[in-house]
Amino acid sequence: MTSWRRTFPLVTAGLLLVAACGGGASPSPTSAPPETTAPESAAPESAAPVADICTNPPKAEGTTLTFASYGGAYQEAQRKGWLEPYSALTGVTFQESEDSSNATIKAQVEAGQVTWDIVDVGNDFGLDAQADLLEPLDYTKIRKDEILDGFASTYRVADITYGVVLGYNTEKTGGQVPQGWADFFDTTKFPGKRGFWDYSAGGIFEFALLADGVAPADLYPLDLPRATAKLDTIKDDIVFWSSGAESQDLLGKGEVAMAMIWNGRAYSAKNIDNNPVEIQWNGQIVTADYFVVPKGTPNKDAAMDFIAWATCKENNAAPSKYIPYGPTNKLAKADPSKVAELSVSNINDTTAYFDDAWVVENAQLLEDAYQEWKTR
Amino acid sequence: MLLDRSRTGRSGRRDRDDPIVNRWALLAVPPIAFLVAFFLIPLIVVSLRSVTDFPRPAGDALANYGRFFDSAANVRVLGNTFWVAALSTVVCLALGYPYAYLMNIVRPRLAGLLLIAVLLPFWSSLLVRTYAWQVILRDTGIINTFLLDMRLIDEPIPLIRTTLGVMLGMSQILLPFMVLPIYAVMRRIDPEYTRAAANLGAPPFAAFRRVFLPLSLPGVLAGSLLVFVLALGFYITPALLGSPKDTMISQFIASAVQQRLDWGIGSTMAVILMGLTLTVLFVASRFIRLRDVFGSFEES
Repeated sequence: MTSWRRTFPLVTAGLLLVAACGGGASPSPTSAPPETTAPESAAPESAAPVADICTNPPKAEGTTLTFASYGGAYQEAQRKGWLEPYSALTGVTFQESEDSSNATIKAQVEAGQVTWDIVDVGNDFGLDAQADLLEPLDYTKIRKDEILDGFASTYRVADITYGVVLGYNTEKTGGQVPQGWADFFDTTKFPGKRGFWDYSAGGIFEFALLADGVAPADLYPLDLPRATAKLDTIKDDIVFWSSGAESQDLLGKGEVAMAMIWNGRAYSAKNIDNNPVEIQWNGQIVTADYFVVPKGTPNKDAAMDFIAWATCKENNAAPSKYIPYGPTNKLAKADPSKVAELSVSNINDTTAYFDDAWVVENAQLLEDAYQEWKTR
Repeated sequence: MLLDRSRTGRSGRRDRDDPIVNRWALLAVPPIAFLVAFFLIPLIVVSLRSVTDFPRPAGDALANYGRFFDSAANVRVLGNTFWVAALSTVVCLALGYPYAYLMNIVRPRLAGLLLIAVLLPFWSSLLVRTYAWQVILRDTGIINTFLLDMRLIDEPIPLIRTTLGVMLGMSQILLPFMVLPIYAVMRRIDPEYTRAAANLGAPPFAAFRRVFLPLSLPGVLAGSLLVFVLALGFYITPALLGSPKDTMISQFIASAVQQRLDWGIGSTMAVILMGLTLTVLFVASRFIRLRDVFGSFEES
């Protein structure tokens, strides 16, 4: 918090510069909505209010916003990085829920009782398929052009990036370093159990295909028969986990030798629990959590102000001081202590990305194939 | 409404008692209203959803049911659900009957202690107990670590992620529902009957088998039914302690509702599970009086 405040004049100047240059240098794709092209013609006027919201968000004394996320160390990082500074700047009071769930959003909207204003959701939510449940985001306030390509769309904007990675327990791998998912599936070379998230759209199929030699760029549409055939080769050694805490425990205690795990959980297993856990970044899937605004919230405008502020380059990286989850704003600088631990700092030619739209579109297909394989 | 109906429904013979009866009946209004508002209406909504809520436009009202039965995994897991529930019932009966019998023959003070012991699991949350079982049973858990350290085994023995694990976890939770109905029925069996059998020359086991056991059967049926129906809805315990082969239908319902937001298919699964459960109750009602099952505590 203090670090970005100290550098704020510098950063503001930088932002103006980048906004002006960026607008002129890179021709916008034809599909871009008109708002994003506006700064080109009138950079000084329209850049000013945006810079304003980043450093001097509108005062909103008496407003209470309900912020729902996933609790634990994660939400604490969001609280310290975003909620508390934003309250200090604007007078907004935050109420928090620690049980973000797509189903709760759906229930609130269907019942017409929307009590969540800003929700942090996973990458399987916030697409056009959920248009009935969400408010379109206000991209006159949010700087879409500064967000990583593909991480901002009509109903959602990414707030943090993370990696779904291969974590391994060094005691169980006996000094050998698994080089990627092919080694994960090699129980002869690396004996021991394997942890997978018990969710059809969480990455299990993607990793099986990467292990089988599919190039990251060629993952979609997923070849499900090929993926399940690969998974069959280690089926008896798989331990399914259903919460981040469980994965951290399974890998940390050595119940499994390797696990598909979120990079923040692997970090905690190593640095908080002091267990012999390391990350192999090869073959990681870089993905994000997103801010969405449930349809019908009475605090829509205040919610948009907060989202715009929290995704500004000055503020977006603030939680990275407390947890190794990276910014989504291309210009934001992550905390130096965590840079090496961030998913986005470890991108290489083995890195893969989810095709969220395909996954959501084919959710039923994925689930059926998954359960058919798993319960067989 | 309760007042009116009971007044008109009765003959004038017990006029003086009626107001009292009716006033007590008013006590039933809040719980009934509660059940209607928070149980019956949601149940109707869920049933309606199963024939109206489709992720893609469907012409057929039964499209969700078609989707359900099209998937081999759904049918398999539905079968699992009944298999695991039946197995838990057998395990609970095998453990619960001797336990109830013991409670019935020891001195009252000891019986009280035994009762507390069987009720103990109720005093902690299901989730905590299930995680405790994980800590005990897993490869790096207490049992395996001990056996490995003693060099009694070379490889961890599979305790967790097995049907055995599920049975341990589920029977611990469900045992009281078996023990209490059986104990309640046993207490009502006059000890004179077995004594009479002995007087007439029956050896102890014959007296038990031919006199006591048949008399205790209503309790056995009641406990079994209760355990079976409760076990059908289990989901956390098999997910945490079992293998994928022990997957139960409630896990699928949770996944459909929470992860895929496909409430149509989730409702459909719930309705199918409810329908099958009601079928079990209906078939059971031909053999036992359900009132005995659900009212067995009040008489004990």
